Amino acid sequence: MKTNNDFVEKVRTAIDERLPLEKMNLGALMTHKDVPQHRMSWAYYLGGFTLFFFIVQVITGLMLLFYYKPTTSEAHASVEYITHQVTAGALIRNMHTWASSLMIFFVMIHLLTTFAMKAFEKPRELTWVTGVALLLITFTFGFTGYLLPWNQIAVNATKIGLQTIEQIGAYLPGDMALWPKYLREIIQGESSVGQSTLSRFYAIHVVILPMMIMGLVGVHLLTVQLQGMSKGVDGEVKKNEKFFPFFVLKDFSAWGIAFLALFLFALCLPFESFFPYPLFEPYDALGSTPEGIKPEWYFFFAYYPLEMLPFWVVLLGGNLAMVVLLFTPWIFKGTSRKTLGFIAALGAIYLFVMTVFGERIYHLVKGVAG
Amino acid sequence: MLEAFLFVGLPYAAVIICVAGSIYRFKTDPYSYSALSSQFLESKKLRWGSVPWHLGIGVVFIGHLGAFLLPGPWRAVLTQPHFLYAVEMAGLASALFCALGLLILIIRRLTTANLQPVTTLMDLVVLFLLFVQVILGIMTAVNYRWGAQWATQTTTPYLWSLLLFRPDPSFIAGMPLLVKAHLAGAWLIVLAVPFSRLVHMFSLPLEYLFRPPQKVVWNAPPTHGALKQTADKEMTRRLFLKGAIGLIGGGVLLGVGVLEELYLFFRGPRLSKEEEGHLLDVTQKKLKKNADEKALELERLRDESIFVAKLSDLSPTKGKYFIDYQMKPALAFLGADGLPQLLSAKCTHLGCTVGSEVNAQGRLLCPCHVSFFDIRNGVPDAGSPAKDPLPKIGWILVNDRGETVLGRGPNGELQGTPRDHPKETLSVHIAKKYEGWTA
Repeated sequence: MKTNNDFVEKVRTAIDERLPLEKMNLGALMTHKDVPQHRMSWAYYLGGFTLFFFIVQVITGLMLLFYYKPTTSEAHASVEYITHQVTAGALIRNMHTWASSLMIFFVMIHLLTTFAMKAFEKPRELTWVTGVALLLITFTFGFTGYLLPWNQIAVNATKIGLQTIEQIGAYLPGDMALWPKYLREIIQGESSVGQSTLSRFYAIHVVILPMMIMGLVGVHLLTVQLQGMSKGVDGEVKKNEKFFPFFVLKDFSAWGIAFLALFLFALCLPFESFFPYPLFEPYDALGSTPEGIKPEWYFFFAYYPLEMLPFWVVLLGGNLAMVVLLFTPWIFKGTSRKTLGFIAALGAIYLFVMTVFGERIYHLVKGVAG
Repeated sequence: MLEAFLFVGLPYAAVIICVAGSIYRFKTDPYSYSALSSQFLESKKLRWGSVPWHLGIGVVFIGHLGAFLLPGPWRAVLTQPHFLYAVEMAGLASALFCALGLLILIIRRLTTANLQPVTTLMDLVVLFLLFVQVILGIMTAVNYRWGAQWATQTTTPYLWSLLLFRPDPSFIAGMPLLVKAHLAGAWLIVLAVPFSRLVHMFSLPLEYLFRPPQKVVWNAPPTHGALKQTADKEMTRRLFLKGAIGLIGGGVLLGVGVLEELYLFFRGPRLSKEEEGHLLDVTQKKLKKNADEKALELERLRDESIFVAKLSDLSPTKGKYFIDYQMKPALAFLGADGLPQLLSAKCTHLGCTVGSEVNAQGRLLCPCHVSFFDIRNGVPDAGSPAKDPLPKIGWILVNDRGETVLGRGPNGELQGTPRDHPKETLSVHIAKKYEGWTA
């Protein structure tokens, strides 16, 4: 009986330490919060940028929702309609694409810097774990949103992406080998990517994921505000800055600049200008697949290894990375920030090289092999 | 007669009295050259009155000055409708800001007991004049829009004619009463400058905007710590105020610029007949295509055999796409034996659709990950990402009387005997009986 009580008590303190709800008041959440100032201070703005671009996504997404039609016969036409006929439609759509990429970009750096700054240290485990979940949701947002315009590149890239799931089956024993196929069919809704897939991706993209992300972002931000900023450096923090109003004002100014940049990009540079046009023709189920099908840049880090390495290597590596990410607060409990910074730098270099030079490396490897 | 006085006599008199009077006052009583701060006596309302008033009038003043000094460039940039909107809205917003500030200042003057002993008649006159002037300006802006534009053709040449001593009130003779009142009010205010607190504007107290905050310390000084705390508090408040003004100002400008576009976005486009026609055309084609696809599906569900092509239309080098019983794309060629050769076109790697052109080596290319397939048996080349061959599809040949004359299952055996049928009368079909074979 006694041990049982001890256990209950332990759980209680553990939760208390991680969610100090007695701090649920404006004073503790806003005015008494300090932001450490040191050479990594800029990293405290990255989460805010991500949040900002997410807000842009919500607003522009809702605006696109007014015109978009999620059927295979009308999806592409409705996107064209938004782009060419609706006032400022091209701008809104462009902002949505640009902000999606920027959001994912900042999510990635946010992950790397918080890792390097050991922001996951006790009692901030919950912040980290929700952060990893948010990362996955953000990528799923990208994957599902990619299909919605129903053009050649979208549908064909989605086909390839979903087919990858089925490949896992080859490594599973017995009847389990069929499970990935069933999984794929559940996602797809029919034997091939079609109307059911579009409906499902639409539902996931505009209803399910937003609900999930809102809840998780809420928890993520609440824990950040309750725990305060992590100190971010080994040793003592010498200087602090008031969260309110100084940090908040700076954060908002940074958002203003980010919005200006986004606005200008969206105004001048259609995201599609980086691809040859035929990829944006309406999807043709009966014709041949055009050349140059590839996922969005933020999947390159997984896509090119998939193309170059044996599937099981990528599968193993990917799952391992996921487990490490999820359990980071416990795995790297005793690691110094210096070491963490080194690991994060390696990660950053890998992401950079694969994203920027992935295609060239792929052609190089392919050229030698063939 | 009245107009000649108001728009020629009064301006010269006002400017001369203003300049001479201000100089005289500076020479004789330099310490009166100030706004005679009453912040000691009342500071709360002053902040919410004085700050908006000065910010607003600053912007409005710059706008008026721009139109006066550089009418040419000013007009040129205003031909941009968006810039014109922005200027008009910024002006109007600033004027509303002014009016609000003035209103608070007037209420303060009239109702604060502390201020009564230091309030002169001239203070009240100036406040009244300024308030009327601002209201007239706002009414002008609302009733006669695009003043930023038309002023360059009317009031600007009028002012220049005064400045160059060739007074010509005919530029404004046809102006509405409201505008004339606004002009006359301006001269009255100029006239009032040397007799009132308005002289403070000649000291150009711009550094007020940027100097660090000062705290008045009364005779019994508080401790150093408390002093620092108040200074910090002031600093915070000042920063916050600046930030807030910036955000609100930027937000208002942005809002104004975006508002119209937003309205149009949600209203939706109004298409011309031509555009509408084009759009309907595209939609109709797409719907037809969808209907065709559904028809294909139905056909495959019901029919025992489905027409692919005439035998004479098949080519050994360029495949003809068709849809097999699984609703997947497939290709039909003419084989070396003069009989059809049917292959699934769904790449066995990741499901892309294989191209229809046969290259010089007799290979088909899947463009997604560069797999080559041998057209004779569907087997991929050794280096290709695809490992499994493209499945062969069985076919039957039907003559013009609808009789099946020859068939070949996907495993290659011929059913029936190849006889000499005139090639033109034969057509290639896929058959349901072979369906299971192609999976």
